Amino acid sequence: MQKLIPTLGLILVLVIWGQISSPAVAGYSSLTLPQILYQGGNDNPRPDALRSLLAQISRRTSIEVNREPITLKLTDPELFRHPFIYMGGDEEFDPFPEKDLAILRNYLSYGGFLFIDDSSVRAGSAFDASVRKMIAELFPQNPLQKISRNHSIFRSFYLLNTVSGRSIIRPYLEGISIKGRTVLMLSSNDQSGAWSRNKLGHWNYDVIAGGYRQRQLAIRLGINIIMYALTLDYKKDMVHLPIILERLRRYNPK
Amino acid sequence: MNMLGKIFGVDSEEFNQWQLHWWPEDPVLIFTVLGIVIPLALWFFWASLSRVTRWTRKLLLFALRLSAFTILLLIILRPELEFRKTQSLKNFIAVLLDNSKSLSIKTITDKKELSRIDLINNALKSNTSFFESLGKDFNVDYYFFSDEIERVGKEAVINTYRPHRPYTNLTQVFDDLAGHYEGRSLQGVFLFSDGADLTQESGEISRNLEERVKGLRSPIHTLQAGSNVGFKDLAIEAVSASDFGFVQQPMQISLTVFSSSLGNRDIPLVLKEGDRILISKIIEVRADTKRFEVELEFTPNKSGKRIYTLSLPKFVGEFIHTNNKKEFEINVVRDRIRILHLNGRPSWDSRYLREVLAHNPKIDLLSFFILRNLGDDVEAPISELSLIPFPSNLLFDDYLSSFDLIIFQNFKYDPFIDKKYLDNIQKYVHNGGSFLMIGGDLSFQGGGYSRTAIEEILPVSFQDNPSPFVDEAFHPILNENFFRHPIMRLEKDYKLNQDAWQSLPPLQGINKGLLPDKNAHVLAWFSKGEVFPLLVTGNFGKGRTALLATDSTWNWNFRNVGGGSSGRFFQRFWNNIVDWLIAEPETRRLQLESDKDRYRKGQQVLLKVSLVQKNYQPSVGTAVKLILKTINNQGDNKTVYDLKTDKHGEGTFMFLPDEEGFYSAHTQTNLGDETLEEEIMFSVLKDNAEFEKPLVNETLLKKISEISGGRHHILNGSDDLSVLQFSNPSIEVSSHSRSFSLWNNWWAYGLVMGFLVMDWYLRRKSGLS
Repeated sequence: MQKLIPTLGLILVLVIWGQISSPAVAGYSSLTLPQILYQGGNDNPRPDALRSLLAQISRRTSIEVNREPITLKLTDPELFRHPFIYMGGDEEFDPFPEKDLAILRNYLSYGGFLFIDDSSVRAGSAFDASVRKMIAELFPQNPLQKISRNHSIFRSFYLLNTVSGRSIIRPYLEGISIKGRTVLMLSSNDQSGAWSRNKLGHWNYDVIAGGYRQRQLAIRLGINIIMYALTLDYKKDMVHLPIILERLRRYNPK
Repeated sequence: MNMLGKIFGVDSEEFNQWQLHWWPEDPVLIFTVLGIVIPLALWFFWASLSRVTRWTRKLLLFALRLSAFTILLLIILRPELEFRKTQSLKNFIAVLLDNSKSLSIKTITDKKELSRIDLINNALKSNTSFFESLGKDFNVDYYFFSDEIERVGKEAVINTYRPHRPYTNLTQVFDDLAGHYEGRSLQGVFLFSDGADLTQESGEISRNLEERVKGLRSPIHTLQAGSNVGFKDLAIEAVSASDFGFVQQPMQISLTVFSSSLGNRDIPLVLKEGDRILISKIIEVRADTKRFEVELEFTPNKSGKRIYTLSLPKFVGEFIHTNNKKEFEINVVRDRIRILHLNGRPSWDSRYLREVLAHNPKIDLLSFFILRNLGDDVEAPISELSLIPFPSNLLFDDYLSSFDLIIFQNFKYDPFIDKKYLDNIQKYVHNGGSFLMIGGDLSFQGGGYSRTAIEEILPVSFQDNPSPFVDEAFHPILNENFFRHPIMRLEKDYKLNQDAWQSLPPLQGINKGLLPDKNAHVLAWFSKGEVFPLLVTGNFGKGRTALLATDSTWNWNFRNVGGGSSGRFFQRFWNNIVDWLIAEPETRRLQLESDKDRYRKGQQVLLKVSLVQKNYQPSVGTAVKLILKTINNQGDNKTVYDLKTDKHGEGTFMFLPDEEGFYSAHTQTNLGDETLEEEIMFSVLKDNAEFEKPLVNETLLKKISEISGGRHHILNGSDDLSVLQFSNPSIEVSSHSRSFSLWNNWWAYGLVMGFLVMDWYLRRKSGLS
């Protein structure tokens, strides 16, 4: 095994990805993205965002998806059928009831993942304040922290060295980790706005102070977040590291 | 004495000595005090009588005071008269006779070959009169010694003296000897030995031994048995190896080869396990060098207690042959379980299984996820992707055998693995590897495995089915007959285990169209209108295989948490599968164990066999063959016993090993159409360590005699030991005594009072106060 790792670095020929895989069966094991419903504020500021992201995931990766996102309350008994949940918003919302917080705490502590996206495109928005208050009640002993650029989220599918979105309000992601696993992630950069596309294929919102590249990076980050939730940190396994580090070095020479 | 005896009324026959004792035992103190007190008292007595004018009265008063003072001094000094009976004692001489195994080694004296012990025996016989005369003046004690001392009678020495003890440890011997003679007068030691003490370095004496020799405070005459002249031997001296090693991990052993009088030769050194040669190395023995350091490296390939043998060829004329071979034991354990986990695509099922495997400290996990297919448009150059090329050549050719378990989870091999590598997997399992396929639409028929090597190794055959994977919720139907199977053991208790299974949420998604082979063990079924195997185990060659025809066991983890339970049973289930697939000892159906790993000679060995059927129910009344053999004589010394299992599927066998050495116990049974075998090893103490350093250690014996003030002598067959003498100071001891106090009686106190009263009366008459 130990000999295997350095030897991998010598592989020069990329395996040609073979023929198209057999038609997959979209069903229970396919990825479904539920959007969380909550009281007060606006829980669905970017209605096309998740559908657009799922389409990108299906187009770019081997992940089988259920194309239509669903909506769930935290008290919904179906919640634990979906280990990844999304929470969007751009306004202040009502504090979560203690019961909902307990469910969410249990959900995240035992294998679930929550991605929160602030679509207000404002620093220190009312939504941001509500989210931080909710998180402080959720994990009072475990505050939000900036996510390091060494985190698997930046290499789970695409190699990324920036945090993008429709607008770069904070050039970083924040998150909470439990026992080495990141369980909650907060973006202040309107990721979902960058993902949103209507049924005709047109982008719903212009990216602010950026162009095609910024949107692409936002989509890549979205895919990486989903990929991390599904594969955790396997990209940090020793066998993967030499090649990834070499590419990172070339990609970001300093 | 007679007069004194009469005064004090003691029998002069009963006592032969008397002595006066004073309270302060130090005479200097007594005379110092008296020298100061007496002049002062005399001066005081005389000066206080200056007003007495009459000389006669003055002298009388002075005499009275002097008498009272004298008696008072006697009372203070507490004189005692002791009458006692004394007698003289003999000093001790210790004769130490080395009875370690090295004394059996031959030595050349006057061109004759004698054993070292023969030299000692001859010296004792030819000096019988010397020892008898010595016994008149001394108490002569005889001891056999090795790593301890054993007192023997003089008469028993010749009859019972034989070289049989396994070690020599002179430090311990002198320690014991000092304890024996504590408070007694040991005036000397005869040490008959070859000096072959394993605890001492050649040419040196350890500080501990030196301290013990000095602490004895008696001269030690060392009588050297044998010499190294013409000593011919080839020996494996010291073997240094770790007590435990890891399967498939190279381990090093180092050893010293000793050669004497063998000239220049190239000698093969062989390391064997049983009768299988693991490695051999040529040792270039040269006449001018005695010791050769050798390093060997080998790779254990089986777990358990393994016994290895190092051997050198035996040459004609060698003084010892037993040290040409040395056995040692290593407990070989599995380092970590190496698992190759291939995932056809990221999914919740693979994510939760990976978490279980990655968090198991016993497991070394190598995961690969197929993250994109050919049709996927990543919209980025390769350099901006974290994807790495799939190293199929390395994984399935070069390093395949280094894995303990290969898992295909919803993984379609084409185009990532060439079909020829499926044949490699088949060979790998046939040779003892293990393989697991987990369901999903990319598994079994959906993965294109029909009529491939994978179908052959799995315990099912694939039926053509237009919809091989169906997304349907169901509760698995457990096969009661296999409910005791290790994989099914979520709880140890049978009833709790049933409850645990019933508490699990339903699964969703089943691979249909699988037909169990006749030797397959179906542990759980899908039964919903149609019936298909869900969880199946089987054997292929020496390896084990299993399949799970669903991709939804993650329900038993996360969904169970949502139901108020935990993922505990999910983790247990997968750990059980891994343990069974890699054939952890507790999952083997035929088990053999001994009550100890090492036995001393004369101890009874207890072997226990337990046997379960395919469904892990006890196999009752089954004949089991037990084959016992010593490692050294594989073909010849083999004994076969027939056992029968009891109602618990167990059988025991006890025996008393009739020879020392390493044993292997092999069990074998035929259950239906299959043959189960198991083997363990154990040792019965065989200690020839004494022969590892068989040379006579003349330097050590010389140093012992020098340090102690004794003499060194090399026994030659015509030895006169009478030249070795010891001092013999007289020792007298009091057997009984009687004491008389010269002060603690009425007349001493009465006289003091009388003199003082008369002094007072005369002073009153003289008009003094």
